[in-house]
Amino acid sequence: MNNAIHILSVATTVFYFITFLLYLNNFFKERKAFETIKRTFLFFTLVIHIVYLVERSVYFDHLPITTPFEIFSLLAFAIAFIYFLIEIMTDIKGTGVFILLFAFIFQTKSALFSADKFNVSSVLNNYPLGSHVITAILGLTGMSIAFAYSLMYFLLYKNIKSNKFSTIFNRLPNLEILEKLSFYSITIGLFLLTVSIIIGFIWLPSAFKDFSYFDPKILSTMMTWLIYAALIILKLSGSLSGKRFSFYSMIAFVVSIALIMSSAMFKSSFHDFLT
Amino acid sequence: MDIIGISINHKTASVEKREVLHLSVPETIDFIQLLKKELVDEGLIISTCNRTEIFGIAKDEKSNYKHIVDLLTAFKKKSAIESGDYVPYFSCSAVKHLFKVAAGIDSQIIGDSQILGQVREAFQLSDDLNFSGALMHKLKDFTMRVGKRSVTETRIGEGAVTVSFAAVKVIEKIFADFHSKKALIIGAGETGELAAVHLKDKEIGELFIANRTKERADALAEKLSGKVLDFEKIQERLHEFDIVISATSSEDFILSFDDVKSASSKRKRSPMVIMDIAVPRDVDPKAKKLDGIFYNDIDSLNIIVEQNLKKREREIPLIENIIMEEMIGFFRWYNTLDIVPTIKEFRDFFEEIRRDEFEKVKHKLHDHEMEKIENMTKRLIGRVLHNPTMKLKNLSEKGTNYEQVKHYSAILRELFLPNNKNDEFKEE
Repeated sequence: MNNAIHILSVATTVFYFITFLLYLNNFFKERKAFETIKRTFLFFTLVIHIVYLVERSVYFDHLPITTPFEIFSLLAFAIAFIYFLIEIMTDIKGTGVFILLFAFIFQTKSALFSADKFNVSSVLNNYPLGSHVITAILGLTGMSIAFAYSLMYFLLYKNIKSNKFSTIFNRLPNLEILEKLSFYSITIGLFLLTVSIIIGFIWLPSAFKDFSYFDPKILSTMMTWLIYAALIILKLSGSLSGKRFSFYSMIAFVVSIALIMSSAMFKSSFHDFLT
Repeated sequence: MDIIGISINHKTASVEKREVLHLSVPETIDFIQLLKKELVDEGLIISTCNRTEIFGIAKDEKSNYKHIVDLLTAFKKKSAIESGDYVPYFSCSAVKHLFKVAAGIDSQIIGDSQILGQVREAFQLSDDLNFSGALMHKLKDFTMRVGKRSVTETRIGEGAVTVSFAAVKVIEKIFADFHSKKALIIGAGETGELAAVHLKDKEIGELFIANRTKERADALAEKLSGKVLDFEKIQERLHEFDIVISATSSEDFILSFDDVKSASSKRKRSPMVIMDIAVPRDVDPKAKKLDGIFYNDIDSLNIIVEQNLKKREREIPLIENIIMEEMIGFFRWYNTLDIVPTIKEFRDFFEEIRRDEFEKVKHKLHDHEMEKIENMTKRLIGRVLHNPTMKLKNLSEKGTNYEQVKHYSAILRELFLPNNKNDEFKEE
């Protein structure tokens, strides 16, 4: 691997780790001066990550979407960037540690296992695929963030019910806001996943001769879409709210990830270029 | 010119004693007139339900805190003040105590937010009654700064430290928007009213009051622009409310487990907060097991109160640093008060000598020499006095050793300034 790319890959991971530690520290030891420092650090982490992704795209002459580990890096960036926007827009600062943990895990996995790939098939190097993959990643990001907010809801719920009033109680925003953030993240995530699916249905049949609607990846994505669509309908109809909504939102995420991961095991899929 | 004072507060006197010695505003006005006539030129009286603080600048060196005690005893007539009922203060300690009071760290509830306003009002009353001069004005500036810095630079005022406010803080962790919420207060007593006021402050959407005696519910509802719910209909309409705060003196449960369960089902388990701040409890505590029901009793709310009080206690060292910084500032100014007249007298004395000696030789000089000689003598006196004047000023501005400043000032007076005006300029 090119030295500059290697250094940037390691630096990005280290920056995510430091940012995560800063958010973790500030979660337990609330200090006003620290809030600006951690946000500034997150900003620089995102800048370094952009430089890394651009450098990688230019050097290998394709978007970083050709291997699952390249996609992990993009996913880490999307999570951190969306959280950064949420923090600036809502000024809710206590939730960063839970969300940035995901970004750090994805980036670490990407940095450890990402391989160099100079020659990729032409199908992986065109705009429809770029749009299809990026919208799918952003959709998954929305769902990952929703999972994090639902987890926070659950922790705070347990904290209040058991009268513990610990750091969780003091630092997290209230349950109503966490539920809303979780719901909005799911809605945005589902919308983007829908866009990705539509692009896929339009472009894939013409790009692949062996295209099949019964492809495991298409089926798992459709199942994920159905699960989240049901969740939104139940929430909007008032049948699901509060703790139950958060619980089912977490279950939906776990099931979706399990479905997507298990579908990747099918080598016969035309989708298996991402291996 | 020294500050003397006494403090009768929750640490020194029983509530009965504090009640007897409390000075209402008209009494404070009368007592200030008495103090002005008998004991002090300027001063300050802070009298609240928890403390009566009397401070002033003694008219002469013989006046001390005992005279304030005697005067207060004579004024109140009802009760003798014993030595353990108050703490006397003098000079530095008086200022420090006043700063502590303003910062809220001397209050019964540490970080009490009301005390700073009461201190401000006390200074204002002194001002209105011409009971404050340069010293009191300066003391007011420094005291108010200590109070403000304590709030802005530390967390002394953060967190709920009363049960009813803690209840509202827990509700704030469940609901984001109070505008769209409906609250029910069961019990129109003092605790219920306080909780209702807190909810009203948070701009609750709808507020209902239920009380066994309907007239009391009517009165509180009218006071807070709320509505009245018949006491008998509480169970039937319970599901309508997002927030229920109960604070009655009932010996039995007002809301049983089944009542809450039925309400929760009707609400489709949408979150409902029940704050039971009554002793004995009004709501069956088993209700907390229900999904979507957030139940807190007085013990669980006290956990928050204690946690916050401990947090506030941890802020005290920071406040003490602020107090120390402001004391240095205040005494830097205060110490110059004694030095300024001394320096002025010192310079005036030398100027008189210069003028006197100049008059003696004036007639021997030509006109053109006179101006030169006069300027030369002025310069001479200026140079001679420059060093001692500057040293005294610097010493006083450090504000750290008031006694040393007083000592130097006394030596200067003793060595150079005549005790008797008739002794001046008499050649030996």
